Formats: sequence, structure tokens, C-alpha cells
Amino acid sequence: MTEPLLRIEDLRIGFTHRGGTTNVVRGVSLEVGPGESVGLVGESGSGKSLSCRSIIRLMPARAEIRARRVEFEGRDVLALTDAQLRAHRSHNVGMIFQDPFGCFDPTKRVGEQVAETLRVNAGMDRAAAHSRTLELLDGVNIDRPEQRYRSYPHELSGGMRQRVMIAMAISANPKLLIADEPTTALDVTTQAQILDLIQELRRQSGMAVLLVSHDFGVIAQACDRVVVMYGGYVVEAGPVGEVCARPQHPYTRALLESIPNLESAGHRVRREGIPGQPPNPAELTTGCPFVDRCRLVQPECANVDMSLIAVAEQHVTACPFVNEHRSAVTLKGSS
Amino acid sequence: MSDQPLLQVRGLSKRFALRRSVSEWVHHQSGDEHLAVHNVSFELARGEILGLAGGSGSGKTTLARMIIRLIEPDAGEIILEGQNVRAAGGKELREMRRRMQMVFQDPFSSLNPRLSVGSAILEAGRVHHQPGSDDGDAFVARLLGLVRLSPTLASRHPRELSGGQRQRVAIARALAVGPEILIADEAVSALDVSIQTQLLNLILDLRDELGLAVLFVAHQLSVIAEVADRVAVMHLGEIVEIGPVAEVFHSPKAEYTRSLLAAHPRPFALADAPEEVNIRETH
Amino acid sequence: MSDTTLRASSPLRRFVPRRLHNWELSAGLFVVGLLVTVAVLAPYLAPYPPNQINILAALQSPSWHHWMGTDFVGRDVFSRVLYGLRIDMLVVAVITYLGLIIGVVIGTVAGYIGGWVDAVVGRIADTVIAFPFIVLVLAVVAIVGPGLKGVAIGIIIAGWALYSRVARSEMLALREQPFMMATKALGYSHLRAIFRHALPNLVRTSLVYSTVDVVVNMLVLAGMSYLGLGQQAPGADLGSIVASGQGYLLSAWWITTIPGVVLMLFGIGVSLIGDGITRGDLVQATP
Repeated sequence: MTEPLLRIEDLRIGFTHRGGTTNVVRGVSLEVGPGESVGLVGESGSGKSLSCRSIIRLMPARAEIRARRVEFEGRDVLALTDAQLRAHRSHNVGMIFQDPFGCFDPTKRVGEQVAETLRVNAGMDRAAAHSRTLELLDGVNIDRPEQRYRSYPHELSGGMRQRVMIAMAISANPKLLIADEPTTALDVTTQAQILDLIQELRRQSGMAVLLVSHDFGVIAQACDRVVVMYGGYVVEAGPVGEVCARPQHPYTRALLESIPNLESAGHRVRREGIPGQPPNPAELTTGCPFVDRCRLVQPECANVDMSLIAVAEQHVTACPFVNEHRSAVTLKGSS
Repeated sequence: MSDQPLLQVRGLSKRFALRRSVSEWVHHQSGDEHLAVHNVSFELARGEILGLAGGSGSGKTTLARMIIRLIEPDAGEIILEGQNVRAAGGKELREMRRRMQMVFQDPFSSLNPRLSVGSAILEAGRVHHQPGSDDGDAFVARLLGLVRLSPTLASRHPRELSGGQRQRVAIARALAVGPEILIADEAVSALDVSIQTQLLNLILDLRDELGLAVLFVAHQLSVIAEVADRVAVMHLGEIVEIGPVAEVFHSPKAEYTRSLLAAHPRPFALADAPEEVNIRETH
Repeated sequence: MSDTTLRASSPLRRFVPRRLHNWELSAGLFVVGLLVTVAVLAPYLAPYPPNQINILAALQSPSWHHWMGTDFVGRDVFSRVLYGLRIDMLVVAVITYLGLIIGVVIGTVAGYIGGWVDAVVGRIADTVIAFPFIVLVLAVVAIVGPGLKGVAIGIIIAGWALYSRVARSEMLALREQPFMMATKALGYSHLRAIFRHALPNLVRTSLVYSTVDVVVNMLVLAGMSYLGLGQQAPGADLGSIVASGQGYLLSAWWITTIPGVVLMLFGIGVSLIGDGITRGDLVQATP
């Protein structure tokens, strides 16, 4: 079994403030293997974005990270020096964000900004950086790269900006690309193109991808494995097809059922949302964070420690009542 | 029930002028123009939910805003139950706007941060002298009930609420003036998936309970599929296809509609037309 | 495997009690609060009437009888400082916030209406701002005549324009916010949209700026009084007390220096408050 590229064990992230500490990530463990594509799905307050940022230690001011392990290729990320961290952030891991505008300097041309990354991280000289930038822009399917090189960020469409951001992120050939809601701000056609691009880049370079999204459809299409987060915990993880067909956690199940679907067109059947709203991290205490909204809640839920239980090959869940659920719930498609 | 549609839009157009270069200005030429909406026509019947789909730049938001003249159309007609909306002014326009209320996309900025929920809703009711608005508490409680929120939320401010709650408050504020049409401009797009579905169900309920007609603008076809009776697909400012939602999605005629459907993330095994999941009562 | 604890924030943090994390605001409020209280209670705290002359006790250095000494005609400096502070604070508060109100209303309305109204108002404001502040105040004083009234009117005329500009640019941004568009969709009158919805949201920036403005105005007022154009004798405010002690700078330093220190304390206190408010705005925990 190959060594995982990224290994996170028992990650906890909290914010200190006047009243104490608010724990937003409460014990998250996940792994990404080399070349693998893992999706991280969750709603507001699940802690998915923060968890990803801890991989490159891009944390907001008052955040505190504690973990048993945050290792990249066996090296402890949390112990890196500043210089090592810079190298880690360029050569090991690339990250792209939801808001493609916010990452650019509006006063500089986009080509310049990519070239600058190359000069700083790969030590290239101007000419080499320029031509490599053109290669990269071409590689992310931007047409007329010479012309686009000279464009300013506001002159590009959202999809185009996202492509340039991807070009910047992969410029140093990272082994892992973290994509934090990369398509949320884009319309459906552009979204499909960006996801295809990421797949293409994966094929070419063997890069692993950690894709964060609140959209299960995006993850189902683009990822091999999925990790479902809720209230700062991982509640389920497994191969994407398996989790979608046989979800083992009440939250995953409810989430899948609540997703609007094209097939509903014309049918007058109402789809159930999940009642209530995603939890406020400041108000959570012990036990399963889904208790207020779970259809299958039981008194013991308040004492659940959210450790992951295996239910099938590579498929884990944090709900210990899963065996009772299996017999109690008739799932579509199962015997 | 009269068979005249509640709202008719005919030939609506809007062009945005881009900046002219100096030489264009000197020579009195108009510069580049962006044709945001071009010759759009459709009808909305009482109690109907019409979806307005399209990607960014399709003109759907501009169109929605033109109907209530937040943006002034350049050409075309807007007829609300036989009356000309474009020709109206002053009091007449206010009354027409009262009948067609809008809910915006961003739950964080569509409510005045300084007003409590109750104040915002009550103000709307009072400005239009809605029945029951003199009894502040009861009026607000009734409207919060319509959007399935507890009356205790009346004293809270928007920053204390979640995105889904804020959208419900925005809907309540819109309902407070007694509209017949609700224009939802990407009203659920900024919400978490499970909350989106709650809001969609709320809109369906409001249509059933109040007979509201809804113009539902969204870029996600799946969302429109869940809530709309008919759908109009827009591309580059024009309606390329319009019809019953099942028909348009299962047998699309326009090429753009087909490409939109093809680009949609494929549905996966579980999420077909929902069937009942049998659950044993928990002890 | 042992726990790895990483603090992303300053390592000294744990040694500072939580209460003091916004020390600027606390310190500023304390200093200004103290000065305001003292000024308000001046009639009760002043041991002597401020204008009581006692030639025999002239030019005495600070002592138990006269905490801040006496000036050249034997008036108790401490009492004069207390009353002077009172006048200064009152006048400065009134003129700053009158200027704020006038400026914010004009700017908000101009920004809301747009078009030529906005353009005209903008040009007027720009002209006023372009004038050196003191020169404009002096010009007004020259017309109205020396005295607090002249200085007050001068400062308001010179001061409203900056608030107007700030409010106007905020209004331009605010206009695009959905809740402002909603006021149009809901059929609210323009008056209601401006005064009930826009203004309350615009005021914060101006209020923060006003803390700076208060200090500036205080110094301008003191300066005018120092020049003899502000508070006229026999009444005294801090500026005129400083002026009166000029001739005795080396012998009776307390007459000039102590009111100057009080002015300085006031300025520091108000600045700290401004810093504290700004700091409070910036602190956010992001999920």
C-alpha cells in the first residue's frame, strides 16, 4: 500500500476570543494518496475550508491549530520553518480559491502575476518566466495566451480568471492541488470546463486533487473519494459511488435526498430539505452535532464521540447506530 | 377567473453603453454597446411559477429588474393586469411595484443591518397601509409565520440570523405589502443546499396558500426543475426556449438549452425522483 | 505521537489578560472620560472663581493652595484650566457635530440624487477642502469679528465639506446594495430611503473621523484663542491661558505649560478612542 501523500489525523482548529475558544474543526482525519482525487463536501460551519488551509498553514489571525498529525509526504507541516513553508506552498501544494478576483492584484496584468510567481518560486529569469507563463496559459486552455498575458484581471471573465489562478497554482508542478469551491462563482457551462481542465491536468502530471465544495454533484463527477463534513467533524468517508449509493450517515443521506435534481422537472413531489440550519460552532457541545436535525436521533447521540467506524471496504461513518439504521431503513436499490 | 395573464412582457430591450473613446466622442459616434436584453417577451399567469434560466451574462437579472423598473427599459412593454407599467409614474408606479415584489440574491445585504426584523417588516406594511399593520406585533407575527419563522425573531437584527433565515425575512418583508407577484432573483443561490430546498418548498407553499405568481431567476437548472411550472431559457439577452419545464428539460429544442443540460453535473444513483424512505420509529 | 500545538498568533498573547486586548479603547475612554467629568464638574471642583484677582498671590508656583500655581494677576490657574476646559469641550463638541450633521446630510442627499446636483455639491465641497483650513477660519473671523462665535462659525464652514465628501462616496457604494434597491422596490419615498435607511448606515465612518476632527478643532480653537481671536478676556479657555503665560515662560512656566499638557492629554485620549473603535471593527473570527 503506497504511502499517502497527505495525512491529517485529529485536526482541531479553534479561534480564541474574549469569551474563550470556539472550536470550528473538532477532530478531523483524512488522507489523500498520490494522484488521488478526494472531495470534501459540507455546508456552512462544517470546517472544510479551514481544514484545507491548515495543509498550507494559511490561517486567519486568531486561529490555533492542534493535531496529532498533519503530514505531507511524511513531513510534519506544522513544524516547518518559514523558508520550508514557502517551498511547501509552491512546490508541494497549490491552492485555488472560490473568488478568482480576490487573488489578483487589480493593477497588474495577469501574465505578470503568473510570471512573478515563477521568478520567485522557481528562480527563473524574466525571459524564461515569460515563455513558461505562456505555456502555462496555453495549458489551461486559454486561447491567444500572448494577448491574455497583457490583460488586467477585470478584463477577464470569471472562468478565465479561474484558469489563470489554476495556472499560477500548478506553475511549480505541485503534487497536490487544493481547490476550495473553485466553481461556485461560475455558471454551469464554465464549471464543467474548469472541472474537465482539472481532470486533464491530473492525467498529465499525476497531481492529486483535494476538491472542496458544497455541491455534491460536482464532487460526484470529479472525485474518486468523498469526505463528508458536518459541524467540524468528518461524518462519513468512502469511494464516491459507494457513498452516494449507500450513504451510512443520516446527514449524508439527508443531504443527498435534499439536492435539487433535474429529474424532478414536472413531478409534483416535494423534496425534503433538512429542517433547521447548520450549527453555529460557538454553540456546539459534546456529542454528534447533527442531533438537532437528525430524523433518527436517539438519546445516546449526545454521548457519541464521533470516531469513525468502518462499514465496508474503505467506507467509514461516525454514526454508531449505523447497524440499526441498516435494518430499519429501506433504501432505494438495496435488497 | 379571467384568462388574461397577470403579467405580460413584450419586446423588452436594454442596451448598456460602454465608454466611448475620445475620437468617438469627438465625431459624435456611439461607442460599443452591450445588448443586455434583446426583444424579450413572455407571460406570467396568476399562481404560476415561471423559471428564468441562463448563465452569467444571459441578461436574466437585468430583465427581472426591468420589470419593476429598477433599471429602465429602452424599448418594449410591461403590462400588469392590463395596465402599462412603463407609462406609470409617482403613485401609480408605487402601487404597481407594491404588486410585484423582489427578493434579492445576497441574504447578507438585502436587509438593512440597522433595522430589527420586526421593524423592517412592519415598515413595509405601514408604508402601504396594509390591513392589520396598525397592530404591529400581530402583523409581524403573522408574516413571520407565513415564512415559517418564530415570532421571537422579530426583535433580532439581521447579523444574528443565518443566511436562510435572512432570506425568509426578506420574503416576509416582500409579502408584507401584499404582492401578487414575487420575483426571486437568484434568491436561493447563496444558500447551503439543504437550506435551498427548504426555501424552495416555502415558495411552493406560498404559491399554494396565497396564490402568488413567481418569476424565479436562477442559473442552476436543477433548482428550477424543483420549483417551476414553466421555464424560459435565456442566452445573450434573448429567450431561446420557453415551455413547460418537463418538456424543455427532457426534450430541449434549442441548442443552448441542450448544452446547458449537458454541462450539468450528472445526477447520481440515489438522487432520482424521491421515494419515501421507511423509517422505524426510534425508541 | 504527542500533540503538536501551534499557535498562529503572537506567543506573548497568553500573558496579556483578555480584558486588556482592546486597551486603546479602554485607555482612551478613561482619559477623555476623566477630562469630561472634570470639565462638567468645574463649578464644584474649582477651588477659586476663575477670574478672581489677587495681586498679592501673583506668580506663585504650584503648591498646596494653588495646585497649578497662579498667573500674573494672582488668578488660580487650576480653576481657570477647569473652566477653560469646560468651554473648549462644549464649543468643540457643538461645532464638530454640527459640522458633521450638515456635511453628512448634504453628502448623502447629493450622492443619492446624483447627476448635476451631485456634481455641483461636489465642486463646492472640493473648493472648501482646497482652502487651507486655518485661512478659511481666519477669513470668517475677520468678517464676523473676534470671539467664540466667529471661530465656531468659521470651523463649521471649513469643516462640513470633508464629511460631505466621505458621506457621498459611501452613499455611492451603498446605493448598489440590495437593501437600498429594495427600498425602491418596496415603494418607499426618497426621504424615507435617505434618512431612515441610508443615513444610519453612513454615519459610522463619519463618527470615527469625527474623533480626529474633534482634536483638530480643539487645537484650532486653542490656537485662535492664543492669537486673541477666540475666547476674549476676561473669560479664559485653554488657548488664551497659554497665551497669557507667554511672557512668563521662563519664570512662571506653569501658566503656559500645564494647559498645554491638558490639551495634549485630550488629544491623545481622543486618538486612542478612534484607534480603539477602528480596531474593534477589524476584529472578526472567520469560520
